[in-house]
Order: sequence, then structure tokens, then C-alpha cells
Amino acid sequence: MTGKVAFSNVSKSFGAVKALVEFSLSIDEGELLTLLGPSGCGKSTALRVAAGFETPDSGDVSIGGTSILSLPANKRGIGMVFQNYSLFPHLTVTQNLEFGMRVRNISRDKRSARVGELLELVRLSGLSDRYPHQISGGQQQRVALARALAVEPRVLLLDEPLSSLDATVRIEVREEIRRIQRASGIATIFVTHDQEEALAISDRICVMSIGRIEQVGAPDVVYRSPATEFVARFVGKVNDIEIEVLSSTKARLHGHSQEIEIASAGKNAGLGAARLLIRPEDVQIVRPDSARPNVRGTVKTINFGGATTTADVEISGTGHLVRVADSTRNMRYRVGDSVHIAFDTERALLARGGA
Amino acid sequence: MRRGRAGAWLVLVVVFVYYLVPMIAMTRFAFQRIPVIKLSFGNLFDKWTIAPLIETFKEPEFRSSASLSVQLAIATAALTLILLVPTMAVAHLRSKRMRRMIELSSTLPFVVPAIALVVGFAGAFRETLPMFIRSPFGLVPLYVITALPFTHRALENGLAALDLRTLVDASQSLGATWYRTVVFVIVPNIRASIATAAFLALTVVLGEFTIASLLLKNTLPLYLSYSQGQNPQGSFAVGLVLILISTIFVASSNRLGKVVRS
Repeated sequence: MTGKVAFSNVSKSFGAVKALVEFSLSIDEGELLTLLGPSGCGKSTALRVAAGFETPDSGDVSIGGTSILSLPANKRGIGMVFQNYSLFPHLTVTQNLEFGMRVRNISRDKRSARVGELLELVRLSGLSDRYPHQISGGQQQRVALARALAVEPRVLLLDEPLSSLDATVRIEVREEIRRIQRASGIATIFVTHDQEEALAISDRICVMSIGRIEQVGAPDVVYRSPATEFVARFVGKVNDIEIEVLSSTKARLHGHSQEIEIASAGKNAGLGAARLLIRPEDVQIVRPDSARPNVRGTVKTINFGGATTTADVEISGTGHLVRVADSTRNMRYRVGDSVHIAFDTERALLARGGA
Repeated sequence: MRRGRAGAWLVLVVVFVYYLVPMIAMTRFAFQRIPVIKLSFGNLFDKWTIAPLIETFKEPEFRSSASLSVQLAIATAALTLILLVPTMAVAHLRSKRMRRMIELSSTLPFVVPAIALVVGFAGAFRETLPMFIRSPFGLVPLYVITALPFTHRALENGLAALDLRTLVDASQSLGATWYRTVVFVIVPNIRASIATAAFLALTVVLGEFTIASLLLKNTLPLYLSYSQGQNPQGSFAVGLVLILISTIFVASSNRLGKVVRS
């Protein structure tokens, strides 16, 4: 049986360092929520508090409406996969999978049947008698996932399980985790500092910074409509352009006469110096006679990235360097070309400060 | 480079000869039925016998002291492991400071002389626990302390080679208690270090003389010392056997160390 996981005002400090500050979050049954943030933002601490490896200074953690804080780690019914390879080195794959079931005194027949199911689930049926050092890192993490599922946990916690794997295996195991999580329907908290990983795997993302939640939302919402400057910068690439806000709908690039529209971004902005945080794909190269307000610039670098290519364009007369992203098919420019760029500020964010 | 290597070999050969010559002399004295003043290269292969060893084995005093030493060695190894494995595991998991303190304590037997240890021990327990002083097994805690520099290092190496934090967390997240985690996760993963520590504890106890002598316990080293006057050949023969056993223990420890590292 799974249940809704809820953190309520959880705070945790290590000496003077505040790892979690009034952390409140809930994860629904069957949902995969990712805690995303830089190292030291408190995401692993949140996970370790839920797992019972750390005691919070205040607040509560509950599963299915019942507080679990009074339970020791081994009684919480939580499965966990760790960043480092955590398989017991002296046990075979089968023995590792059986470990939790032995603790629960499950009969040998049931254990064998369950091990068979799990090996099939993680597609490692042929490796049951191998020791951890005899299988690859990716396979080890899949066994670790199966081992965590073996005890039919109420909640699954994944603490950067892909960080020790190389790029190709990482994508493979990531997809495998998503498939298995969907099949098992267990509420899952996934911790990572890799925004691409978070965007690919999550139902929802919780972006964290210095122990606090910056934004919680679906991956596309977090990416397209970042709530804070931190989220805009941490999730995906962003151009940071100095502007001068002239009205609630108009602004001017700093040091440039051309006005641009800032309809949505400028809703809550005051007048004066500010910074426009805009995704590279929201900046387009347009024809000089385009109806949209645009500014002239020169292509300084072209970065080929497979399906997508980016160009760094220096805006004439200002020295501003703006990154433009488009499909490789459309990006037919060379370094030194003179181009015109327009800003689609619909999803851009305005930050105070600047020149 | 080549000169340096030749120098190293020279030192090695000198050390080897320094140890080997007395060993050979001791072996010939113990196992050849030839008066010591007549031993020469000419009779190197004459009159070899294990009779002195067999005769010594038959002596009741030898048997009782050997039996006591073996019991003390086993008890010391057991107590060392029971005390050190969980304590060091907890120190590794929870407190770097505690780890440093244990490390520091483990070196104390190098600087505290055995006589000081015995005087303190006897002074503390003579009035409060006289049985503890009277019983030969009162030696066990002292031997645990004496062997600590070696046993601690062996276990420390084993624990440091593991990602203990992750293994313990994994075990507990799977529902295991602390006891189960120690017995079924930590111990099997440091078994080579445990065996090494046990071998080293056995070796230390089988060769320890000062503490047993000061507390008047008739252990094997004391028997060998006292019996040199009456049965010199026998005591040298048993001494050689002890050296052989210790060498096997130390070699086994090294071998296990290599297994751990691989």
C-alpha cells in the first residue's frame, strides 16, 4: 500500500548551516517528484529526513496522513536507492534482492517468486548469481532499485541514483527507472542536481535553493515560466539582458534606442533599471523588415548541438551578447553575419537591478 | 637508480642474515643430538631428531602453560573483536572525533610500559576485585590493550575500505536492525580484517612475557623462560615452533590484507 507523502514545515540545521527551512511539500500516490537544486541546497537532507537517517529540528513528515517521525529508519517502510553503489558486496544479486524479505521472514518460496519477478522487471534475469563487482554500474543501480522495491515500500526515495553512471548508461537507466516507477505506482522522490534529468523523468519538479523551495510545478511549467530568477538560471539556459523599463509594456535595451515589448514579464516591474531573463529559444533571428520590434547585431559564435544550434549575437552599439537557439535546419548563419533579433517576452522574467 | 636498488638489496641481505643466523643456530641446537661445542659445518646433516619437542610436549607443566596461553589468546582475540568491531563501526559512521580518539588510544601501548600498566591494574583491582587479579583470565583485558596497536590498524583498514555509511543506510532502509546490520552486513564485509586482527592478537598473546611474569601467571613464554635451565633443548624447540606459528599467523594476515585490497 502506498500513500501520499507530506513534509510539513520541516527545518533542519547542521551547526550554523540551515539545510532545510520550513520545508513543506506533498507527493501524491504514484507520482514521481524530483527535488532539483545545486549541491548543498538541502535536497538530500529532505530525503534523509524522510528515510529516518536524519531527525528534523522541527516540522513533521507523514505518509498516508500518519506521522512517521517517531519510527526508526528500519520501520518506515521506505525503499531507497543511493548515489553510491549500495549493493552488499558479499552477496549475489539474488541474495541482495532477498535481504529485505529475509528481514521480514518471508518464506523461501515467496522470496524466490518475488526475486524472479523483480529480475524480470529490471531485465536482469540472467545475472541472478553474479556478485556486484561482476556487473556494470548501470546494472548495479537497477538491482539496487529492484532491491528497494522487493520489500514493497510505501514510498521510494532515489538519491541521485544516476550520478555515478556515464552519460549513455545514465539515460538508459533513467528511462528504466521511469518505466518501473510507473509500473509499480509508488510515490517516488527523486533527487538530482541535473536539470535535464529532472525535466525528463518527473511528473513534478521542486526546485530548491539554500534549504528553501523556489518553485514546484510540472517540468514544462518550471522551464517555461520560472517563478524566480534562481529557477530561470538553474533550469535551462537563460540570457540576462540589462534593460530600462519604460512602462508596464515597454522597455529599452540598456545603451540602445530600440524599444521592446515586455507585456507579461513587465506586469509587476517598476520603472527603471532591470534585467530581462529570457530563454535562448525565445529570442529569434528575424528579417530586417519584420513587423516585430527588433535590433541589429553580429553573429559572434555558432555552437552546433545536433538537432538544435545556438548562436551568440552581439547587439550593435551595446556589446550585449545574446544567445539565440533554433533548429539546426533554420540556423543558416555564419560568424560575422549581420542579423536582426526579436524578443518574445511572453515567458521571460524581469529581475530588479542592473545598470 | 641502479645503485639505490643495489643498496636496498644489501640492507635486505644484511637483515636477513642477522635474523637467519641465530635461527639456524637455534634450530641446530634444538633438533640435533650433538653437544653444542661440537656443532660445525661438517655435521650439519647428522643426528637430527624431534625427540626434545616430543619430550617437552609430554611434560605436564608445559601442557598446562600451553593450554593457558592458547585459552588466553582465544579469549583476547574474541574480546578484542567484540569490543572493537561495533565501537569502530559506530565511530566511522557517527563521529570523526571519536575515530581520532580511538586511533590515539590504540597507540598508547607503545608509550605506556607494561610495568606501568600492571602496577595501575593491580593497584586498581587488588582491593576491589581480587578474583580478577588472581584469575589468569585477568590478563585478557591487559592483552587486549597490548595488542590494540595491531588489531585496531587491521580493523581500521577494513572499515576504511568500505562505504560503510551507504551500506548501513541501505541495510536499515531494507528493515534491518542495528544488530542484523552489524552481523550480516558489516562483519562479512570486513571478515578478512577481522581474521587479521584475530591472528595478530593471538600472536601477541603467545609471545607476551612481561605482564604475565609481573602478575605471576604461568603462561607459555614464562614456562619457556624458566625451563631453559632444566631442558634447554626442549625450550628452544618449543620456541621455534612458536616462532613458526607466529610467522604463519602474520603471513596469513598479509595474505588476507591482499585479498581485501583486491
